[in-house]
Amino acid sequence: MLRIEDYKAIFAAVGLIGVLLSASPSLGLVLHLPSGEKFSELWILGPSRMAEGYPFNVKAEEGYLVYVGVGNHMGSSVFYVVYVKFRNQDEPLPNVTARTPSPLEPLYEYRIFLENGKSWEAPLTFSFSDVSFFENRSLVGIIKINDVTFHVDKLASWNVNGTGYYYQLFIELWIYNVEVEITQFHNRFVGIWLNMTVSL
Amino acid sequence: MRILFASILCLFLVLALTTVCMATSEDEVTSKISEANNALREAFKTVLEAEEAGANVSGLVAKLNEAGGFLSEAEMAYRNGDLDKAVSETAKCLTIANGILGDALALKSSALEDAQIMRTHTLLFSFAGAVVSVVGLFLVWVRFKPFYVRKLLKMKPEVASNAKD
Repeated sequence: MLRIEDYKAIFAAVGLIGVLLSASPSLGLVLHLPSGEKFSELWILGPSRMAEGYPFNVKAEEGYLVYVGVGNHMGSSVFYVVYVKFRNQDEPLPNVTARTPSPLEPLYEYRIFLENGKSWEAPLTFSFSDVSFFENRSLVGIIKINDVTFHVDKLASWNVNGTGYYYQLFIELWIYNVEVEITQFHNRFVGIWLNMTVSL
Repeated sequence: MRILFASILCLFLVLALTTVCMATSEDEVTSKISEANNALREAFKTVLEAEEAGANVSGLVAKLNEAGGFLSEAEMAYRNGDLDKAVSETAKCLTIANGILGDALALKSSALEDAQIMRTHTLLFSFAGAVVSVVGLFLVWVRFKPFYVRKLLKMKPEVASNAKD
């Protein structure tokens, strides 16, 4: 048989557990458990909304479709800006190490507000016109993105290794930082390579 | 000769005036876009505060997206030189953003009130739970102790069988 002191200790322990259980909702107001990893997703999908069938060999006066998506896992609602940029293979991409965006001017843009845990996806249609080829170079005069026309006049030299005139359509993710009240590059970008071919 | 000179002067004046008007117009558009951008950011900040206070902000986020769409259209139109479109899209954005600001402030204050009531209830119930738990256990102890003593007194003393001679 247990001694009276042992029973006393058991009662004290049970009492303490009871008090802690009763106070746990109040403790939740004061103590904040560490949240999980905060991150954002950025993606481009092909015309069938799968990671396949991306347009590659493109030509003037033909429409192409991809889907752009963003996912928010930052722990609260976020204000994102997605910039669509177009470059030839010699122009700079964003520098992920230095966390700097591409210095190229954005063409199309999306402003997205996303609640935590939600994602957003939108179609991105594009076509080219005023395309010419001369002296191992191709010149894209106009790119139309989601029915908005942009005059780009982008030159690309013949790529001997890849045997094509390579351009890249890429998207950068920017985020509005509430604390410093500026929109900053979120160090994420994705793109698709395009080989400009002659229209027959 | 005089007529020619007067014509050139007029042409020069018209060109100068047009340039000044264009510049002013562009400045106006830039300042309107900047104003809309600030209004949208301010609205988002208030929505975020309402969300932190515990409000359901799904409706306001949908409106923010609508306003953001107009601002993007305005920015792109401005970059493409379509100032009229830029102005009209900016105005749409501003109207929605200002509406969101008012709604978000109301939602935030009601969410803060709800949160305060909830906090008070939580604290009260926690305190009451702790008191009930301690008092309940004390009562059990008060009944248990005499029971334990009675049971102890009823026990027969055991003789040690392995005591050495």
